[in-house]
Amino acid sequence: MNHHPGFDYIAISAYAVIGILVVAFVLLAFRDVGRLRTGIFRAWAIGRTTIAEAWNARIWAIVPIWFVICLIISLLVRPYSAASQVEIYLTILLRAQLVMLLVYLGILACVSLPRERERRTLITTGSKPISRLELLLGKVIGICAAGLAMLVLMTAITWGFMVVINMHIKHDAAVLYEHEQHSYNAMVRRIPPEPGVRYTARHGVLQAQNYYTGTLRIAGLINYQTNPPERALKGGSSETLYFEFPSLPAQVVSPPVFLLHFTVLRLNPGAKPNTSAQQTAAVLPPVRIHITAVLRDNPMVTAQQSLTLSPNGTAEWRPKHWTNFFSLYDPTTGRLFDPGPVLLKVTSPTLGAYLFFGAGTKAQPPACLAFNLDRSRAPAGVMIPKLNPVITGFKSNNKQEIVGPSYSHPGIPAEVASFEFHHLPDKRIPIGKHGNFTVHLFLSVDKQENEALPAIADITAFTLADPAHPFRMQVRFAEKHLTVLKLPKSLLDESALVINIQSNYPGHWIKLTQNSVQIVRPPSSFIVNLAKSEFIIFCEVVLLVVIGVTASARLGWPVAMLTTMVCYVLGNLFHFVYKLMILGGFGLYGPYIDSKMKGLWYYQIGSFITAVMVKMLYALVRLMPDFTRFDPLHDIIISRNLPWIVPVVDAGWTLACALPILALGYLLLRKQELA
Amino acid sequence: MVAEFAAIETRDLTKIYPGFWKSQQVQALTNLNLRVRQGEIFGLLGPNGSGKTTAIKLLLGLINATSGEALVMGQQAGDQDTRRRLGYLPEESYLYRFLNARQTMDFYARLFNMNRSQRRQAVDYYLDFVGLDPAVRGRRIGTYSKGQTRRVALAQALLNNPDLVIMDEPTSGLDPVGMLEIKNMILRLKAAGKTVLLSSHQLADVEDVCDRLVILYRGRVELEGALSDLLEVKDVFQLEARKVSAELQAKLVEMTNAGGAEDIQTGRPRVRLEDLFKRLVDAKRRGEPGAGSARR
Ligand SMILES: Nc1ncnc2c1ncn2[C@@H]1O[C@H](COP(=O)(O)OP(=O)(O)O)[C@@H](O)[C@H]1O
Ligand SMILES: [Mg+2]
Repeated sequence: MNHHPGFDYIAISAYAVIGILVVAFVLLAFRDVGRLRTGIFRAWAIGRTTIAEAWNARIWAIVPIWFVICLIISLLVRPYSAASQVEIYLTILLRAQLVMLLVYLGILACVSLPRERERRTLITTGSKPISRLELLLGKVIGICAAGLAMLVLMTAITWGFMVVINMHIKHDAAVLYEHEQHSYNAMVRRIPPEPGVRYTARHGVLQAQNYYTGTLRIAGLINYQTNPPERALKGGSSETLYFEFPSLPAQVVSPPVFLLHFTVLRLNPGAKPNTSAQQTAAVLPPVRIHITAVLRDNPMVTAQQSLTLSPNGTAEWRPKHWTNFFSLYDPTTGRLFDPGPVLLKVTSPTLGAYLFFGAGTKAQPPACLAFNLDRSRAPAGVMIPKLNPVITGFKSNNKQEIVGPSYSHPGIPAEVASFEFHHLPDKRIPIGKHGNFTVHLFLSVDKQENEALPAIADITAFTLADPAHPFRMQVRFAEKHLTVLKLPKSLLDESALVINIQSNYPGHWIKLTQNSVQIVRPPSSFIVNLAKSEFIIFCEVVLLVVIGVTASARLGWPVAMLTTMVCYVLGNLFHFVYKLMILGGFGLYGPYIDSKMKGLWYYQIGSFITAVMVKMLYALVRLMPDFTRFDPLHDIIISRNLPWIVPVVDAGWTLACALPILALGYLLLRKQELA
Repeated sequence: MVAEFAAIETRDLTKIYPGFWKSQQVQALTNLNLRVRQGEIFGLLGPNGSGKTTAIKLLLGLINATSGEALVMGQQAGDQDTRRRLGYLPEESYLYRFLNARQTMDFYARLFNMNRSQRRQAVDYYLDFVGLDPAVRGRRIGTYSKGQTRRVALAQALLNNPDLVIMDEPTSGLDPVGMLEIKNMILRLKAAGKTVLLSSHQLADVEDVCDRLVILYRGRVELEGALSDLLEVKDVFQLEARKVSAELQAKLVEMTNAGGAEDIQTGRPRVRLEDLFKRLVDAKRRGEPGAGSARR
């Protein structure tokens, strides 16, 4: 059988199984579903009794237990700053809720039906006019309602706890600010107090800020001598350079050689003002690059290599497992199967190295070429990547650094982090009394030199409509505190707003992320934000309860519990197992095996078994709901408002996953003898 | 009352409890053919393990028949709508231990979609009806005595004012007074036009109330018919009187002999211990001094 490389037949089969379940449910349960109009009350009666059972099993005990545990932990944990205090406390409080509810309600879900079977109360209940669907739903509803009650209680306590913490933080910040202001006025202290501290003292930390984030590009170290200006790949960052070779594998049968050529600029982080370029080069380690070749249409096929650039900036890559990598030669037809374009991704882990590359024009040949060495096959010679190299910047939240102005390379402008904001007039950005809007900066500094100087960022803000008249200012910022910036509302026009950040002092490297500059929008209420996070916890718990009740439809409680646990673990492993597949979990040793070994029968058998096992695992994981999507902590711990869409989508997802599971439960229970 | 269908009808109803090996299989019921008319009290008799409970569970749809079919109120056994008109008293009182009597009744009333006022009315009415001590109604059922639990179980069986009441060994676990009450209750149900199917291995129970009965043995029907037909000894005449002097007794025997009767037996009747016990308890309740001797 020959599949298109991008065709995930396991996933398709899993969806088919789920689809069949739902169809079978619709066909077999339509009468019971039709009765649900009155049946929902009967289900609720079952649910009430299940709640009574849970209550009798002292489910309420988890609230005090949870609280005591959280109290102890939060008393023991002494965070570094107010902001991280909130982060840590909320993490502890919410995670503990999640774990306790998952464990407790999971057990309850697995135990409830089997226990009724053991105690034979199902005989009496089953003689009443109740359908199996109502029974199943009743159990789920009851346990979920018990969970909801617990959750509401815990939310109230969490909120109260956070309010107390907030009062303390505000008080401490006010005292600190006053003290610093006092000593600054009395000339005891050289630096004025942190503005972030005053902000905390005034507003506290229980916030659900709404922000508008722009897109970040680090437009630094551009060589303006060339036309168009040349851009560098930044070492030590997550920037990735892409080359695309359109139809390389179809033509190349023998391994090609990739030649890479960069113009390298090194900056020594610790270099003192008068260090010469030669001295700098002497102490610096060589520049390394990572290369990954990947089939664009089937990202499971990859080859990777880590290389060291020669002093003149070149490297040569002969992929070792070329045949394995591109051997999509179809033995049944005897023809070569074209697997589509090949992407070559280049990153560099070496901090302070900047790799300039050609734009891919005639005048500037691209930095990467591929040579076909096997001259007996056409075409010989050079293959040129189709597109200009594309550089991609940040992934979602990783930190990067922009260097401060350099002593040793005065001709080169320092790196600039450039944040671009679009569609601002639609964003209902609040304007303050003085006609300003607020921008929050989350910056931290890496002081390589000039440790005594305060961290200062040079800010330049302008609109694309009028770049000639920028608004400039210098702001002091503090580690772990947000810095508040007021900008005139004239900057909010139809064109885009650009905010550029540069470091002011040599040796001060500013660390920032995609979200480091955020335009403040009207805040939301903290308690609602907390409720949203709790709701996401609830969704996760509901899904587990549905699995537990379904598992216990036929199984005794110990096996049901085990099944539920396995489902939960598999549901959390989705991305891991998927990666396992992609990164060559198919064979015993993946592709890194020589061809002599491959002919051996025991290798083949072993490889076959591993491949089957991985595929089975993948199929199983595909059948499970993806539990990793539930992230109650995502925004609340950084005082951000969780967009409504997240709990709404999570609720929809929970329902969508619960339906086939409940369908399975119904099918299992439909003909089950109750006595 | 003429009914177009029987309250219960089974055709070749067979149940084999599955086992892992064939030797572990149990043939609990073999080709049971029953027909219970509406409005009658029908007895299902048999020794322990003869398949009475199995038959009842099949009728309720709690377990699935291996072969054959069972119709209840003209519908397939286990039909959800039919179960609205059914009351079932299980063999043992399988109730939630963590609920009290009122909560239990309320729960079952909810399963019949009764509204709040209906529930409140029905709950207390039937708990009174079965004579559950009001003092214990607020206590968890787990703390009840067997008789109290049994009464709650009986109350839940009558909760929906069912047309057909199925009782599996209704008198088990009750004292003789309770037994008598149950028997009276069954007769009252009959008077109200209900159909009652009851199973028992205590023949005395059945004897007093049943119109018709079958006797099961090892899952097969051994005997079937109307109680009066089955029990009446057609060729024996019985005479009972007080103040019969020894003289008169001798004379009566002589006359009977002369008249050609055979197998003449004489003696004093004995009451059953059950009756004695009942009278004693009744007298105590009324505050009379003990009625020590056997009277009839
Ligand atoms: N769940 C079961 N599994 C296997 N055998 C059973 C089961 N229930 C009852 N039996 C067997 O079926 C037979 C009839 O049982 P039952 O109907 O309870 O009798 P009765 O109610 O007349 O005392 C008995 O031999 C009993 O052991
Ligand atoms: Mg029995």
